[in-house]
Amino acid sequence: MSMLSDLRFRMRGLFQSRETEAELEDELRFHFENEVEKHSKEGLPKEEARRRARLDFGGQSQVAEDCREARGTSLLTSLLQDIRYAWRQLRANPAFAVVMILTLGLSIGANSAIFSVIEGVLIQSLPYSHADRLAYLYLSDKNFPKFALNPFDFRDYRARNKSFESMAGMTRGDLQLSGGSSRPLMLHGFRVTAGYFEMLGVSPALGHGFERKAELPGNGYEVVLSNRIWRSRFGASPQIIGQRVMLNDQPYTVVGIMPAGMQHPGNFYQPLPYGQDVDVWYPFTFDGNPARRGSHFLEGIGRLKPGVTLAEADAEMNSIQAELAREYPVDAGWQVHAISLDSEVVGSSREMLLILLGAVGMVLLIACANAANLLLSRAATRRREIAIRVALGARRSRVIRQLLTESLVMAFVGGALGLAVAWGGVRALVSLLPVGFPRADEIHISGAVFAFTFLITTAAGLLFGLVPAVQSSRSDPRQGLHEGGRTTKGGDGSSRLRNALVVAEVSLACALLVGAGLMLRTFLNLLHLNPGFQQQHVLTASVFLPEVQYKSPASIAYFYDELMGNLRALPGVQAAGAGTDVPFSGYDENLGGFTIEGKVPPPDQEFHGRYHVATPGYFSALGIPLLSGRFFSEADKAGSPSVVILNHTMAKRYWGDKDPVGSRIDFVEDHPTGKAWVTVVGVVGDVKDKPSSPDAEPAFWWPSLQQPWAFPEMSVVMRANADPGSLAEELRDEVKRLDPSLAVANVRQLDQIVESSIATPRFAFVLVGLFAGLAILLAAIGIYGVIAYSVSQRTAEFGLRMALGAQRADVLRLVLRQAAWLTTGGIAIGVILAVALGQLLKDLVYGVSLTDPATILAAVAIAAVIAVVACLVPARRATGVNPVIALRAE
Amino acid sequence: MTSLDLPQGTLDLLILRTLLAGPQHGWAISERVQQVSGNVLRIQQGSLYPALHRLERRGWVKAKWGVSDNNRRAKYYDLTRSGQRQLQDETESWGKLISAVALVLESE
Repeated sequence: MSMLSDLRFRMRGLFQSRETEAELEDELRFHFENEVEKHSKEGLPKEEARRRARLDFGGQSQVAEDCREARGTSLLTSLLQDIRYAWRQLRANPAFAVVMILTLGLSIGANSAIFSVIEGVLIQSLPYSHADRLAYLYLSDKNFPKFALNPFDFRDYRARNKSFESMAGMTRGDLQLSGGSSRPLMLHGFRVTAGYFEMLGVSPALGHGFERKAELPGNGYEVVLSNRIWRSRFGASPQIIGQRVMLNDQPYTVVGIMPAGMQHPGNFYQPLPYGQDVDVWYPFTFDGNPARRGSHFLEGIGRLKPGVTLAEADAEMNSIQAELAREYPVDAGWQVHAISLDSEVVGSSREMLLILLGAVGMVLLIACANAANLLLSRAATRRREIAIRVALGARRSRVIRQLLTESLVMAFVGGALGLAVAWGGVRALVSLLPVGFPRADEIHISGAVFAFTFLITTAAGLLFGLVPAVQSSRSDPRQGLHEGGRTTKGGDGSSRLRNALVVAEVSLACALLVGAGLMLRTFLNLLHLNPGFQQQHVLTASVFLPEVQYKSPASIAYFYDELMGNLRALPGVQAAGAGTDVPFSGYDENLGGFTIEGKVPPPDQEFHGRYHVATPGYFSALGIPLLSGRFFSEADKAGSPSVVILNHTMAKRYWGDKDPVGSRIDFVEDHPTGKAWVTVVGVVGDVKDKPSSPDAEPAFWWPSLQQPWAFPEMSVVMRANADPGSLAEELRDEVKRLDPSLAVANVRQLDQIVESSIATPRFAFVLVGLFAGLAILLAAIGIYGVIAYSVSQRTAEFGLRMALGAQRADVLRLVLRQAAWLTTGGIAIGVILAVALGQLLKDLVYGVSLTDPATILAAVAIAAVIAVVACLVPARRATGVNPVIALRAE
Repeated sequence: MTSLDLPQGTLDLLILRTLLAGPQHGWAISERVQQVSGNVLRIQQGSLYPALHRLERRGWVKAKWGVSDNNRRAKYYDLTRSGQRQLQDETESWGKLISAVALVLESE
C-alpha cells in the first residue's frame, strides 16, 4: 500500500512535472517573501531585508533540487535528461559513435547468435515429458566401450528393475513401402518394444501404440506412422487407422499416427540422429531361444522413477546384470551404463558449442576494452566539461551516473543492432551446421535470447563505462579548468590503463588466432587425409530385398550378381559392386568372433572383427587398394572353397607382420561337424569409421555369393568416368527392370559423404576463424586509437624534438616503439593464454599438437603485422608534424 | 540565546509535532519551532523544505494550497493519520533516548 502510494507520488512528479515545479517555486517564493516581510517589520530597510532573507535562504536552486530529490522524482527526471544528453553527445561525434556502435553491435550480435544455438540445443529440455528422467542403457566391457543390449537380457532388466518407471528397446529396421500407384519407398523404421511411446511421454495423435502381446513371435504386424509419411503417402486420412499397408511385401495394420514434431531420440547402431527422420515404428518381437544371449542389437531407454538418480539406477542395473551372468555365463563381463538422454543427444556438440561461446565472449571482451579505451581518450577531451560540472556543485556520483548513462545508451544502441545481427546470424549459423546436427530445427531467437542480449548489453555497458566514468569524475576541477588541460599528458594513470587495455585486447585476439589456426590445421588435415578409398565420381545407393520374395541367401546373392552385371554394362560405368557397408556412413553393428587355425587368443580375449558382405566389384568401385592376395571373383560362389578378405588392421592385429593370405579361420561356434574353415585370400586397405577416428577397426568380408546367412540390404557402389549424378536414374531403371517392387534409397555421391563427414570441423573452423578475424580487427582499432591519441597528445613534444634537429625517422621510431611494446606484450600474454586454454580444444583438433609451433608462429606473425599496419597511419602523422605550428599551438 | 544544530533525525519529529496543532505552511512551522524553543532551535530553510517533501512522499503529511493570514496563496501541510502514529512512535523513542542518555551522563 505505502509502496504503491510512494510510486504514485513519484509518478505524479514525473508526469506533471511542470505543475509540481511551479508549485515548488511558489512555495519557496512564499517563504522568501515572508522572511523579507519579517525583517522589514523588525525595522530593516527594504533592500537590507531582502539581502538578509537571501543570505538565510541559501541557494534557491540547491533547495529546489534537494526538494526534488526528496520527492523521489529527481532520479527519473535526471535519467531522462542524461539519456537525452547522451544521445546528443553521440550525434555530436558521429565517427566515434559509429565505431563504438558497430563494434559493439557485431560482437553482441555474434554472442546472441551463438547463445541462441546453445539455448535451442543445450538449454531447452528435449521435447519429451520430464525429459530429464530419460536415460539410455548401454553395455560396455574391456573391448567395447559402448555396446547394444541382448533382447532377452533387456526383457529381464525390464521385469526385474525397480529404478525405472518404464523401459523400452528399439533397433533400426528400415521397411520398404510398396503397393498402390506410387513408386516404392524405403522408410526409416524402428522396431520398438511395447510402451515405447508411453516411455518417452509422447502419445500418438490418432490410435495407439504397441501392447505387450505385439512382442510375441509371429505377432508384430502393426505399424505406427509418422505424421510426415501419413500426410505424404496416405493423404492424412484418419480412416487409415485399422487399414493394412504393404511393408516389405507383408501386410501391417496401421494402429497409430504420431503427432508432428515427434523426435527420434537418436541411436548408435545403424544410426539415425536425433530428429524427425523416422517414418514408421513397428513392434519388436522376441524371436529365438531366450537362453542364447550372445547377440547384441537392441538399444534401451528407460524412464527413471521420480527421485531415483542415474547412479542408483546404474548400480541396480549392474546388480541385475551380475544375477544374469550367474544364470547365463555368456552375460559375464558386461557392465551396464545408464546415461542421461540429454547428454547422449547433445553431448558431443556441447563441448564445441561452449568453446564457441567462449571464443565469441572473448570478442565481446575485446569490444568492451575498445569501447573503454575510446571513452578514456574522449574523457580527456571532455575534462573541461566535467570540471565545469564539478565546479558548479555536481556531486561525484552524479557525474559518474551521467557518464554511465552515456555508455549504457551506446551499449543499448549497439545491443539493438546486435539483435539484428543475431537474427541474420542465426539463419546463417543454422545453414552452416553439419547435416544431422542435433536439434538444429529448434534453434531460433527466443525470449531467452532476448533476455541474454539485454543482459550482456547491460553488462558490457557497465563494464566499459564504469572505469572511464570513475576516472573522469575524479578529475580536479582546478586542473581541468586551467587551460583546458591542453598540455597535461592525459594523466599517467589513464594512459597506463589505456595501454593495459590494448595489451589485453591484443592478447585475447592472439589467443583466438592460435585457436583458429588449430581449427584450420585440423580441417586441412582431415580434408587432405587419405580416406582409404577414392571419393571422386562414385555414386552409392541402397537396395533392400524383402524376405517374402528373397527367402534364401542364394536368391539375394543372385539378385545382386545380376544387377551388378547389368550396371557394369552401362556406358560410363568403370566399376560396380555392392556391399553391406559404405565408408563414413556409421557402424552397422555387425561384429563377430572367430578362431584362427593354429592360434590361441591371449587370455581374456577373443579374435573378433566386423563382418560384411561384398560382391567382386565392390573394392574396385570404391577404390580401396589391395595390399596382398586378390579381390573376390565370380568364382567365389556357393560350392567353391569358402574365402574371406580382411582389412589391414585385422591382418596386423592377429597376424602381425606375417601375411595372412592362405591362413584359415572359422566363424561358427559349436559346429556340429567339426571346423568349417574359410581361407583368407586377400588383404585390403583400411577405411576408418569417420575421418577423425583414431584407427580403423578389424573387419572382414565374405563374398556375396557365399554369404553365410541372408544380408537383404546392400549398398550399390558405381564408379563412373565423370560426374555420376546421371547414373541415379539408370540405377533406378535397372533395379526396376529386375523387380519393380523395390525401392532405391539413400542415393548419394561418395564425395558428398566425405564432405559431410568433415562438416563439424569445418563449422568449428569457420566460426572460430570468423571470431578471430573480428577479434584482430577490433584489436587493430584499439591499437590505432591508442597510438593516434598518444600522437595527438605529443604533437608539441614532437615539434620540439624536430625543432631541435630530430629526423622524421627518429620520431617514427619513437611512436613505433610504443606500439611495439604494446604489441609484443599482448602477443606474449596471448601465446601463454593460447597454450593454457589450448587444452580445451583437445577433442576438437586432429593431427596437430595443441602447442604446434608453426600455428603459434603464424598467429604471432598475423597479429604483429596487423598491429604494425594499425599504428602506421598515426605514426606517419607524427612525422608530418610541422615544428612551427606545433609549438605555436602550445 | 545561541542557536543549536538539530541532532540527526529530530527535524521530522519537530515538524510533525508542530503540525499537531493544525495545518501550517513551511514558514509558519519554522517560525513556530524557533519561537517555542526560545530561539534555541532554528530550522534552516535548506533542510525544512526537503524534509516537508520527504514527509509528504512517505504519506505522513498532506499538502494543500490555501490562503495565508496575509492573504497570499500558501502551501499548507497537515498531519495524516499515519503521520500521527509516526509522531507518537517517534516521541516515544525520543523520550527513551533522552532518559537513556541522561542515565549514562549521570552515572558515576
